[in-house]
Amino acid sequence: MNQLGFGRFLYLALNGLVLFFLLAPIAIIFVFALNPTPYIQFPPVGISLRWFEKFFASSQFMASLWLSLKVAALTTVCATVVGASAALAIARGGLPGVRLITAIVLSPLMLPAILTGLALFQAYVLLDIGRPLWGLVAGHTLVTVPYLVRTTLALLHNFDTRLEEAAQNLGASPMRTFFEVTLPLIKPGVIAGAIFAFIVSFDQFPVSLFLVSPGQETLPITLFNYLKYDLDGTIGAASVVSILLAALVVIVLDRTVGLRSYVKL
Amino acid sequence: MTDKPLSLNRRQLLAAGAALGVGGLAAPYVARADTPELRITGWGGKWGQIMSAEIGPAFEKQFGCKLVIDTAFPFLPKLQASSRSAPVYDVLHTNSNEQWAAAEQGIVEPKIDARLVPNMADVYDYAVSDKIIGVSIFTSAIGLGMRTDKGYPPVTSWKDFWDERYAGLRGGYVVPVNSLGQALVPMCGALFGKGTTDLDAAYAALEKLKPIKLVDFTGAMEKLLLSGEVGICVIHDSGILRYDADNPPTAFVAPSEGVLALEQVLSITPGSKVKELAHAYVNYMLSAPVQKKLAETVWYSPANKTVKLDAKYDAKLLTTPEKVAKLIQVDWKWYNAHKDAIDSRMNRIFRA
Amino acid sequence: MRARRLNRMALFLLPSAVLFTLFFFLPIGMMAMMSVLTGNPVVAPHVAFTVRNYARIVEDPFHFEVIWTTIRIGLWTTFVALLIGYPLAHLMARVRSRTAHALLLMAVLMPMLTGIIVRTFAWMALLADKGVINQMLAAMGLPTAQLMYNEFGIIIGLVHIYVPFMVLTLTGVIGAIDERLEQAAQNLGASPLRAFWEVTLPLSLPGILAGSLLVFALAISAYVTPILMGGFQIMTLPILIYQQISASFNVGFAASLGMVLLVISMALIVAYNQMLALVSGQRELQ
Repeated sequence: MNQLGFGRFLYLALNGLVLFFLLAPIAIIFVFALNPTPYIQFPPVGISLRWFEKFFASSQFMASLWLSLKVAALTTVCATVVGASAALAIARGGLPGVRLITAIVLSPLMLPAILTGLALFQAYVLLDIGRPLWGLVAGHTLVTVPYLVRTTLALLHNFDTRLEEAAQNLGASPMRTFFEVTLPLIKPGVIAGAIFAFIVSFDQFPVSLFLVSPGQETLPITLFNYLKYDLDGTIGAASVVSILLAALVVIVLDRTVGLRSYVKL
Repeated sequence: MTDKPLSLNRRQLLAAGAALGVGGLAAPYVARADTPELRITGWGGKWGQIMSAEIGPAFEKQFGCKLVIDTAFPFLPKLQASSRSAPVYDVLHTNSNEQWAAAEQGIVEPKIDARLVPNMADVYDYAVSDKIIGVSIFTSAIGLGMRTDKGYPPVTSWKDFWDERYAGLRGGYVVPVNSLGQALVPMCGALFGKGTTDLDAAYAALEKLKPIKLVDFTGAMEKLLLSGEVGICVIHDSGILRYDADNPPTAFVAPSEGVLALEQVLSITPGSKVKELAHAYVNYMLSAPVQKKLAETVWYSPANKTVKLDAKYDAKLLTTPEKVAKLIQVDWKWYNAHKDAIDSRMNRIFRA
Repeated sequence: MRARRLNRMALFLLPSAVLFTLFFFLPIGMMAMMSVLTGNPVVAPHVAFTVRNYARIVEDPFHFEVIWTTIRIGLWTTFVALLIGYPLAHLMARVRSRTAHALLLMAVLMPMLTGIIVRTFAWMALLADKGVINQMLAAMGLPTAQLMYNEFGIIIGLVHIYVPFMVLTLTGVIGAIDERLEQAAQNLGASPLRAFWEVTLPLSLPGILAGSLLVFALAISAYVTPILMGGFQIMTLPILIYQQISASFNVGFAASLGMVLLVISMALIVAYNQMLALVSGQRELQ
């Protein structure tokens, strides 16, 4: 019993350390967002909301925050449609070379986004498209589709196909089975993937670097450029706002849909 | 059954084609009805703020146009990738080294016609020298920056940067990507070798700077100095002076061997469709009131001789022909020709 | 489980087929072209085929050093992420309380939500020579350490970013393992540790492989973190590629380096599939 207790203690302690490792930098960000000195300094000298004021007062930051949210939303929709459908085709379509197809669909995740960004930029310039918003969304969609494919596929693979078979045995057409049995059952996987797509798009840097047009920058780009000139607490404020926003999204989704078993890759 | 759909489709196709054709012809006329756009590049930070708050809008109002400013560095690759007849920028604002690289590739015009930019007659010689592509609108002086609260002895020469006591406390730049880092290379050749083109001496000297903290942008260097991560660094006067109001324990030192010029240069792209506007913009940036405003916001030395800065700025910036004569302009044409070799060596020297 | 014959569901592949062809294959193909041309055909008048760019990679041993550094950092990141991600994934998979799970999930997602730029700067604040940790050490009278401007700092930064990916990949797989198998082992006399080692761990191997592949692939493509945590003095392949594009304006050379990185990544995917086939027999967890 002692050994069990000690083992359990070690297990929890280890996890505690890991959690501390994950959260310590976040705490630092909160600290700096509230520290009034204009460069990173420890220990902090006080609490001030000046950086939040500066962040919200900056039209540039607000514009890029808004753009990031917009792009993330559009990307999530596109990636969901493309990724979920691809997963369905892979799992149920009876396609030859399924492993190759899966590898290809997952490859944007594995390949350096900086190359994807450069390649897309060159392609857009070649075709004289310029750098429109849909071009940026397309780039983001490309790099987020793999997440949706992974989460949806994971669910489809562990699926009890007997449910589908049962529906068909009871007389439902394949179409009806699809809409009334399959889709609802994969919904949690799709939603989990959509969350990843949103987060990844919101935080996406290398692809955006090449595809944003002047005056239309996403938040990570604005932050990166801002940091070239000003390493002050405004970035901390921007980050705290992003965290709280995204956390809100996740909490709301957990309450309504229940993310427990589905938020996994 | 099969014929009808085909012929209908063909007709529809022709109609659509005609519509597109008319639309295509009409498009330029429609576009011209809108305000013309001038696409330029610019820095962020304090420069970017004042540009978008005051200088830009004033220009837009005066010339009835829209100013589209790209602040996402790097600019050259984007210009490089765009076609010659439809460049992504009309005016390129960057440091002298990049302007030379751009001119080499034929994506900016090497010289600006002084007849189209009247204010060019009022600039110092360095701004239109043979070391400059286009025209320089401002400059800063590259020298040494240091902490004044660490008890360091007075620094007077570039060679003091190599002093043993600063090991691990020096701040430098990633040479391949940064103008100040690049400017240091020929300087090292001049200091420790036979001259600015003595690369071997320069490499040996730079090697001796290790251990050193590197950054890719002057903004980051400013922060390193302010937070105490470095005690002495290569920096331009603007990077120290712009914090004047906060009175931090930092100082700029103009070494006895001379300061290097970090020019802010404007050039025009050959394929620009709004050349008249582009020249007007260059002229505008060289006009006395704009020069004064920008110089006093970011502590740059104005290229326009006739500008009178307030006393506080006048004292510390290069505002007389005598002071300006001390600037050493780097031969970027020569440097860029050797850039790949230098970068390769730098990457190898400065690895941990 | 999977349809044996091609059926109408296969049509669902169309949207991704279109997206990938237009926005992936075409651009990457163009980049491959750029790597064997002397210039950009759109802007330069006369371009010819050349192997100059690839020859340049091979000629200079520095490039092999860069490639090896990239791979080495990737391997370390994966290893550490696995080591610290597994316990957390296990806890998340086994915890009963819904609130506890939600909290753990939040904790795991938080780093991902923060944003890569700011997260890296937070680590810089922690690990810099005058950063939080060193200041605390100095205050306690202990010697300070160089925690960044080296590979150690880069790996810490990368692990922090990619552990959530590892955890979320593992937690699903571990969660799918029937706990009764572990219980059975323990009933037969095995200690909890042994039950874990001989039952849980092998069954979670597909997840370990999947998570490792993901983290490694992401780690070798990383740009922002290695450049900032390494103090610009550690050169990885993405950093070199970006430098060639943004400062040396050698797009062709950058493209050839990019192709090298691409080949490494693809070799990984193939190796992973082979290992997976070996490990899980017929069952394929994609």
